[in-house]
Amino acid sequence: MNSPLPNQSTAQLPNPVPRPEGELERLEDVWRTPRGWRFLSSVNNTSIGLLYIGTTLLFFVLAGILGLLIRTQLAVPENTFLSAGTYNQVFTMHGTVMMFLFAIPVVEALAVYLLPNMLGARDLPFPRLSAYAYWAYAIGGLAFFCTLFVGLAPDGGWFMYPPLTGTKYSPGLNADFWLLGIGFIEISAIAGAIELIIGILFTRAPGMTLGRMPVYAWAMLVVAVMIVFAFPAVIAGTALLELERAFDWPFFIPERGGDPLLWQHLFWFFGHPEVYIIFLPAAGMVSTMIPTIAGTSLVGRRAVIAALVGVGVFSFGLWAHHMFTAGLGVLEMSFVSAASMAVAVPTAIQVFAWICTLWKGKVQRGAPTLFLLGFMFIFVLGGLTGVMVAVIPFDWQVHDTYFIVAHFHYVLIGGMVFPVFAAMYYWIPLINGNRLSEQWAKWVFWLMFGGFNVAFFPMHITGLLGMPRRVYTYAPDLGWNGLNMLSTVGAFAFAAGVVLFAFDVVRTLKRRTQPVGNPWNASTLEWLTSEDYGNRSIPRVVSPNPLWDQPTLSRDVDQGAYYLPQTATGHRETIATSPVGAEPRYLLVLPGDSWLPLIAAAGTAGFFLLLTMKLNLLATLCGIMAVVGTIAWLWESDRGVPETSVDAGGGIVLPVGARGTASHSWWATIIMLVVDASIFASFAFAYLHVSMRLQVCPPPGSALPPVELAWLSAGLLVAGSALVWLATHALGRRRLPWLALAALACALASFGVDLHGLRAADLAPSESAWAAAVAALASYQGLHIVLLAIMALYLALRGWRGHLTARSRATLDNIALVWHYTTLQGMAWMSAVRLVPLLME
Amino acid sequence: MSVNMNKNMSKNMSRASEHFFRRLLGAILPLLVWLLHFAFCYGLAAAQCTPAAMREGGPDRTLMGIATVVALALLAWLVWRARGVLAHPGRAGLWQWASFLFAALSLVAVSWNSVPILLVPGCA
Repeated sequence: MNSPLPNQSTAQLPNPVPRPEGELERLEDVWRTPRGWRFLSSVNNTSIGLLYIGTTLLFFVLAGILGLLIRTQLAVPENTFLSAGTYNQVFTMHGTVMMFLFAIPVVEALAVYLLPNMLGARDLPFPRLSAYAYWAYAIGGLAFFCTLFVGLAPDGGWFMYPPLTGTKYSPGLNADFWLLGIGFIEISAIAGAIELIIGILFTRAPGMTLGRMPVYAWAMLVVAVMIVFAFPAVIAGTALLELERAFDWPFFIPERGGDPLLWQHLFWFFGHPEVYIIFLPAAGMVSTMIPTIAGTSLVGRRAVIAALVGVGVFSFGLWAHHMFTAGLGVLEMSFVSAASMAVAVPTAIQVFAWICTLWKGKVQRGAPTLFLLGFMFIFVLGGLTGVMVAVIPFDWQVHDTYFIVAHFHYVLIGGMVFPVFAAMYYWIPLINGNRLSEQWAKWVFWLMFGGFNVAFFPMHITGLLGMPRRVYTYAPDLGWNGLNMLSTVGAFAFAAGVVLFAFDVVRTLKRRTQPVGNPWNASTLEWLTSEDYGNRSIPRVVSPNPLWDQPTLSRDVDQGAYYLPQTATGHRETIATSPVGAEPRYLLVLPGDSWLPLIAAAGTAGFFLLLTMKLNLLATLCGIMAVVGTIAWLWESDRGVPETSVDAGGGIVLPVGARGTASHSWWATIIMLVVDASIFASFAFAYLHVSMRLQVCPPPGSALPPVELAWLSAGLLVAGSALVWLATHALGRRRLPWLALAALACALASFGVDLHGLRAADLAPSESAWAAAVAALASYQGLHIVLLAIMALYLALRGWRGHLTARSRATLDNIALVWHYTTLQGMAWMSAVRLVPLLME
Repeated sequence: MSVNMNKNMSKNMSRASEHFFRRLLGAILPLLVWLLHFAFCYGLAAAQCTPAAMREGGPDRTLMGIATVVALALLAWLVWRARGVLAHPGRAGLWQWASFLFAALSLVAVSWNSVPILLVPGCA
């Protein structure tokens, strides 16, 4: 698959130059980013990417300030700077904001900004979804942070273990803010992941096969797939804990058959892959920067890509190493311990590849190099202590001590913050052509590198001396005083480095715009000249290092000699290519700027946050705003354009848009349904987990509905799906909307039968965790029925208004997918609740 | 024109679907073997130490041993099948490299992961 194509720069180029007059102006008009306050309606990946990166850095600074408050409190023994209660909120918010509002979003934000250009696309395939994900995160995140100022911030630690976070020990709203706030921000992260998977697989420049795709894009592909499978666990977990808090469904209360360990399983099934979700993008950036600074191609490039995938898969077997002191069986723990060591192998492949590349090449001195070397030093140390804590008896000694605090800061700051700083030094010239100061960079680096090690290395010793994490103060005679003071001094030095960096960024961004050029002599496409519309024309790539191996590429692309140098339909557009060989498939027409994603996001954030505060009326209004905003946004999409095909140049005539399995939106729906199925699987796991704790299932006093009702409900679901299938074959017919409404009637009747059955069986979710788990599965099905109701009405309306045609049928196809999924899920939940008791007999 | 275009496109798609999933599955098969082996062993150990399915004498290590032998045999075969990469490392493509490395990594991981089956009896 890697056989090189003929070099286009020496052969005939796809389009003649010079380009016709007015072509560039039309392209600019279509893609022009609005100025002033209208900028906020922009959905272009460059605008959203920059806003996104800026917001994540704001949260990095805010959470960093919280870190400094922690260090100030701990600088001396018996300090009264912060009260115990405030300290609990501060350390919880420090961890939560760093992980959920900085680390995950920043990797997605950098990808939103960098990837389209790196892949040679004009934009990501769903720009309004990116905008929605960003605004939901920004508005929700800022409101969430403000809870700190009114004493309502969560205070149960960033992993929110029950029973501490149950209503008994956390009766206030604090925990609810975490559960609802973070829960919906994760939905925004999933939206970003779907966008990235489709973008990476379907919008690469022609010729950019998977083998030639930049390693960073590979890393983001792996990470996005990991998000799809890992995040559902914590979404389900937060839903269960919130249900327990709001309705007294005792999932985590042992007296009523619940189990606090269920939370730990769900949380860490997300939480451990999440460490790699943060690290792999950084590793991908490192694998992109190191060849540039060494001036040579990446050693073992294919092995590095394979290692990324290997780490991604192995990382799903590590969750329980956070639970070594929770009382799991020794054999289970040993499996997880072994897997925790095994993951070091593919990680080491990458580290050795980086070292070999530096060795092989001639290293440019400069700020990115400094931060990359700092990254390697710190991350390797963090990795080594990681192997230490993978050893169960050692973990028993250091669990919940400052040794662990030291370990994960070495991994996270070393493995992610240093590479992100290297990345900012490396890629900031893309914004206005100016590089950050090399002189200042030395100060920034040594303050951060020195400060980091002074702050966190002593914590290994403090931990071994027995200092537990999360204590707000300590007695003066424990031998921890000097080490704690040293850590505090280091933390402030690190912060000084960050402040200096921030000044330099502001200074640099204020400078006059310069031509960007290729300041590091990099090999990847993001260094082609780029405007609002991306590149002037979409290149054909013949090697993994196109700017090195195709010397005239930059000039030819700028002149418009490659594909699609125009707007062919008068709309924003990019070329959709095949997932493996990146051959052009169709013209993907993109939506333009709009306020609707912002309105929908504000409504969503308002709904969740106001609901937490029990301001139900306002929350309902916000919910309506979100639904109306989303429907208005979708109403404009999936409309055909007059052109049926366009000439992209070089004899490539592309159809406009695609249908069914060829369409990017169909694949996005499939991925969304995989997320959905994973959330469902997490609820099913919760049911299995609480059932396995029983001697008799169902527990005494509980029963399942009669089996006849389950058959009836399943039959109705299948009938609904059959009607929807008929609807997909009735395009352009008057009966289509009625088929959709008839299908809805079947789905509603099916759920009515479910509810009747549960009532007949007298299921009381607050009586036992088992009953609550059954009710959770039923509720999740109910949520889907509500969704189907909205979709069926929407579909009928589109049908009546003539917006369902052969060339705009994505809405119909995608709703059909969701419908069939709901049918399968309905049958799955009914089977699961019946099979487990049978097996236990 | 549009109908023809769509027909052609569908044809192109099926050809240009490039056997994506088949190739993907072929390459990541070793990792899936690791995943299934891990899930089976962990799940069995967890289940047989809970009230619902408690097994006297601890988890069934014979069953885990059989699963391990099967997994290791499959992985050894996958390594063998992908060994061509070593003969011509420069010429092998990404998929071939991935198949070989995934098989080798998974073989190491399953072997290492199975050591506890030999060492740890009981549920405690």
